[in-house]
Amino acid sequence: MNKHEDAPVQIQLNWFLRFFGNERWQFATIPLLAIAASLIAITAIVGAMGVNPLNVFITFLQGAGWILKPAYAGGYGMFSDLSNTLTFFTPMLLAALGVTIAFRGGLFNIGISGQMLIAGFLASVIVGYSGLTAWVAKPLVLLIGVVAGAAVGGLIGFLKYRFNINEVVASIMLNYILQYSVSYFINTRFLDQISRQSKVVSPASMLVLSSVKLGGVNVSVPLVFLLAIALAIALQFFLKKTRLGYEIKAVGANRRAAEYAGIRVPRTIMLTMMISGGFAGLAGVSYYLGYLNCIQPGKLTSLGFDSIATALLGAAHPIGAIASSFLITTLNTGSTYMSSMMGVRAEIAQLVTGMILLFSACSAFFRWRIAVAKQRAEMRAAGTVAPGAEDA
Amino acid sequence: MVHQHFKLVSNYTVAENIVLGAEPTRRLIGLAGYVDMRPVNAAIAELSERYGLSVDPTSVIEDLPVSTQQRVEILKMLYREAEILIFDEPTAMLTPQEIGYLLDIIATLRDSGKTILLITHKLEEIKQVADRCAILNHGKLIATMEMATSSTADMARRMVGREVIFEIDKAPARPGPVVLDVRGLVVENEHKVDVARDVSFQIHAGEIFAVAGVAGSGQVELADAIAGLSPVKSGTIQLSGRDITTAAVRQRTIGGISYIPEDRQDVGLILDFPLADNLASKSYFKPPFSHRGILRPEEFASYADDLIERYDIRCSNGAATLTRSMSGGNQQKAIVAREVEQDACLMIFVQPTRGLDIGAILAIRRRILEERDRGRAVLLVSLELDEILALADTIGVMFAGQMIKVAAADTLTREEVGEYMMGVKQS
Repeated sequence: MNKHEDAPVQIQLNWFLRFFGNERWQFATIPLLAIAASLIAITAIVGAMGVNPLNVFITFLQGAGWILKPAYAGGYGMFSDLSNTLTFFTPMLLAALGVTIAFRGGLFNIGISGQMLIAGFLASVIVGYSGLTAWVAKPLVLLIGVVAGAAVGGLIGFLKYRFNINEVVASIMLNYILQYSVSYFINTRFLDQISRQSKVVSPASMLVLSSVKLGGVNVSVPLVFLLAIALAIALQFFLKKTRLGYEIKAVGANRRAAEYAGIRVPRTIMLTMMISGGFAGLAGVSYYLGYLNCIQPGKLTSLGFDSIATALLGAAHPIGAIASSFLITTLNTGSTYMSSMMGVRAEIAQLVTGMILLFSACSAFFRWRIAVAKQRAEMRAAGTVAPGAEDA
Repeated sequence: MVHQHFKLVSNYTVAENIVLGAEPTRRLIGLAGYVDMRPVNAAIAELSERYGLSVDPTSVIEDLPVSTQQRVEILKMLYREAEILIFDEPTAMLTPQEIGYLLDIIATLRDSGKTILLITHKLEEIKQVADRCAILNHGKLIATMEMATSSTADMARRMVGREVIFEIDKAPARPGPVVLDVRGLVVENEHKVDVARDVSFQIHAGEIFAVAGVAGSGQVELADAIAGLSPVKSGTIQLSGRDITTAAVRQRTIGGISYIPEDRQDVGLILDFPLADNLASKSYFKPPFSHRGILRPEEFASYADDLIERYDIRCSNGAATLTRSMSGGNQQKAIVAREVEQDACLMIFVQPTRGLDIGAILAIRRRILEERDRGRAVLLVSLELDEILALADTIGVMFAGQMIKVAAADTLTREEVGEYMMGVKQS
């Protein structure tokens, strides 16, 4: 038994370690640290280019519709920009939730993009090109999205437990298979000769109401925005308060201990991947039949990959995913306006997003550094570390 | 040093492994450096010849059998002109013929002037090859003996030397009906090697059956198989008359098996879970913890508070304490609490007191006796002979995967058990 246990040494840690070293709040403090670090890095880069960093951040927010721009074109207003941001936010959050549940189950679903594509494609073909009325079409699109995504996710889970194929490899391979088979069918059957994309789906099947007049400005209403938020809250409840959620977390945290506790690990892995795929499928339909209205053949959306970093930034926590999705989509949709206003190239906007994602991916490293620093401070206080041995 | 687990790069050749870290480099036209293997191959072939190791320097490690890999490790030391060679349990993975060959090599090395330090559990090998031997017990040097004048029985006696800490009052057992009936059990490890071979025994209600044996004799695998964590190759396991040979872990838990595994941090607990979640990890799925698939966190918390109180689990933050932040002893107490509360008819304890302080050891041993007196069948696996002698009603000794002796505890002396454990005495 540790001899310090009965008489704990009172240690004075500095404010930084006290704030970031508290494990109970690290799920929130570490992403904040990642964001702060990236903002500092961005400020340095943009400042070196001779542009006022503050203006960069303001134009991002203006472009995404969070604050008023100085001027708008006719028929457009702040809410047009905001509704565009929220329309992009919806698939981002859903995809990030898919990544989150897989993470919590100890799995890495890198196939979100492929699952999104197949869900969007099947929904387009089955509902988007039919003449179904909106009341039938929209729920059917959601249903197809969930089923298609869950089927692909379940397949990955099945391959993992039946043939011990790593889920990352299986997902990447399935991404290619889905990307090119969907591309084949679009090119041979559903191609719009002018746009070189798949034919546009019917407005009735869209999960967005476009060109709605609100206070004299055009807005598009993302119909599943609230559903996505509700699903994030539901996922949080699921992970925290349900039997299956407990089992998924146990398998994710320690597979051997889960098996010892009597949890059927293969079944849990498959279910986790199905749920993850189901979220990806929902993201797919809200992207291809919402944010967009057609599919570009031969391409996977980068949103599926960005959602991995978004989930990481949200500390693999459903509520955290809401916050990080807001941040990432704001950067995404605000970037065009920012680059035109500030006279910097559009790539700089991508750089900013990339910075935040890079730093959020480093959060495990931050956590580790903080833990080490804290331990050293404690050892120094207890006098158990020899002078000069700290850098060893 | 030849480690018990070899330190070899499996897709490199023998010679490449041997020179790793001290590669002879040359420069092509004064520039591009490269490793010249030809002189190395020749030197290794010569060394191998001189000490009779028969290793081909150009063959690839993963194609070689274990015994040859071990000789590569020996060559590694010889190539670097080591004078003192340390062997850590070198025979653990070898067949009897290979062991004979290895011992011959060791003798050759000694005769050519090398100093050999052999670490082993197996007295026969010491007897065959050693000149002198030192006996360690719990980190203390017990004796240094000249092999020419000592017997294996004498060595075994010293190895199991008594640690006098305390005595526990133990009432005589009142065994009831058979609870666990294991017949002809064979268990494989992940390398498809039989680690438990044809093991048969019975445990009655109100009886402590202790399995003695040196580390790696198959006792842990036996416990895993009974708890359902590793598959059974052949043989049957019956629990209270019901065949559970192929039952799932969950069914066995419900059927009345509780299990304290050897590896508490990696198997027994989910360290990243709060203490309350770990205390309920074998009962979370049933009322009152869960109702129609929905968990009741308040039940988890009150159950945890109850156990923390009754089992004196020290934790900084009550039920919400992160299990990882607790000390090893308190983690162990948490597992004991959870498993005892299972209310199982068969309790399997593997090394239940390892690494604990004397107070905690005493508390857990008392608890084991209490559970026996309440009519449970107890399977105790321990490497501590003192623990086995203090608690057992019946002792089964495992040696090299086989249960070579089963007898009532009071008919065996400490020395006899030790001799069976070391394989000196066969029944």
